[in-house]
Amino acid sequence: MKTLTYFFLLCPIYLFSQPNCNAFLYKGDTLQYKACIEAEKTEKLYQFQREFQETLDNAIKICPNFAYAYREKSTAYLKSGDFLTWKKLIDKAVDLDFGSNLGYRAWCRYQFFRDYKGAIKDIEKLDSLVSYNIGYSINGDYHLNIAKGICYSALNQKRKAIKIFNQQLNTKDYSAGLFDYYQLGVTYYEVKDYTNALKSFGKQSEINEFADNAYYKCKVYKTLKNLKEYKKYKEAALKLYTENKKLFDPYTHHFNNVYYEIIINE
Amino acid sequence: MCKVLTLIILIPLISFSQEKDMAKSLYSNMVGDIEFNKETDKEDFELCYEKHIFQYFNNSGGFEYEGEKLAIEKEFAEKYKSENIKNETGLIRIRFVVNCKGKTDRFRLISMDENYNEKVFPRSITDQLMNITQNLKGWKVKKHKKKEIDYNQYLIFKIENGQLKEILP
Repeated sequence: MKTLTYFFLLCPIYLFSQPNCNAFLYKGDTLQYKACIEAEKTEKLYQFQREFQETLDNAIKICPNFAYAYREKSTAYLKSGDFLTWKKLIDKAVDLDFGSNLGYRAWCRYQFFRDYKGAIKDIEKLDSLVSYNIGYSINGDYHLNIAKGICYSALNQKRKAIKIFNQQLNTKDYSAGLFDYYQLGVTYYEVKDYTNALKSFGKQSEINEFADNAYYKCKVYKTLKNLKEYKKYKEAALKLYTENKKLFDPYTHHFNNVYYEIIINE
Repeated sequence: MCKVLTLIILIPLISFSQEKDMAKSLYSNMVGDIEFNKETDKEDFELCYEKHIFQYFNNSGGFEYEGEKLAIEKEFAEKYKSENIKNETGLIRIRFVVNCKGKTDRFRLISMDENYNEKVFPRSITDQLMNITQNLKGWKVKKHKKKEIDYNQYLIFKIENGQLKEILP
């Protein structure tokens, strides 16, 4: 069941990859339908390719209000670090369809540009505009409320971050994400609440163990002068690291990720 | 008379071909491609596959540097002389190519303010960032289908009032 939950957590990556053109037809929006059919031609193209951009330009020519095309065009600029072009395109997508794109923009602001204030602003705006669950980051790593907590933590508002993490983790029917308890634990550690930090790292281990989590356990035990546990978790962290069981993101770095040199020198 | 007729027939063709060329110029082959510029780039910077330069994340290895990103952070912490300059806040991106031997060149810089508007930072900031970036020697050689590849990499510097706060990605 847990595996299934994580499968669905990761689903947004694929779900957004193709628009459902018939939905536009169903609503009687033939222009968006035609634009959508044009955009489908990008299916076998790479986001960075000239033809990919040109095909979406054609879709925009058919229907200038087709938000999906702007968002898809923006992705290559995001991944190449071109914040200027990315922002113009994604803003257009948000203006045309905030429901599908505001949460995505928030996550990208955080993940690629560490724009903590901008991400919080977008998440809070989305939350105020909709009555449904605001959902997950595009890569499925975090619920957007957890992402908001991370941003507050980065802005050094640790108590507020802890409150947001706990609120989300205690939300009815919410299953903790792959790294939620780790982020909570690190934040507890930063405010010197070692008991709750260890509790959180323990819960994290039950869901998904990785080197960074074991490292922080070692760090807490070192602070508590428990030499035996400190050594145990330092060794565990190094082992997990060499097995490649660590926080990893193909494009950027996770918040609070730990490097090998940091572990070995602890 | 015959020559005049030929000319009349050819004019639309010439005009059409110009239009097509102009449309083509909107995008490079791949978003973010960095063309060689003889004014700024090294003539002897060799690429294994000029026609296709990968992105750093294409091999699923992500950001790969000797000693990880921590080594880069240490390099900048040691060499970047932070100045307190009020309102010099935003992001600076330096994008470049790492070739199949792990060497770098074709450095390009863009920058923005806090609201994603284009911004020009003082050279006391950008020159330092550029010099340190150009001297980073630990970029790993990446492979695709067992062959060494050339790839595009970038670093983004988060600047707050002239101070270097974070290095991305």
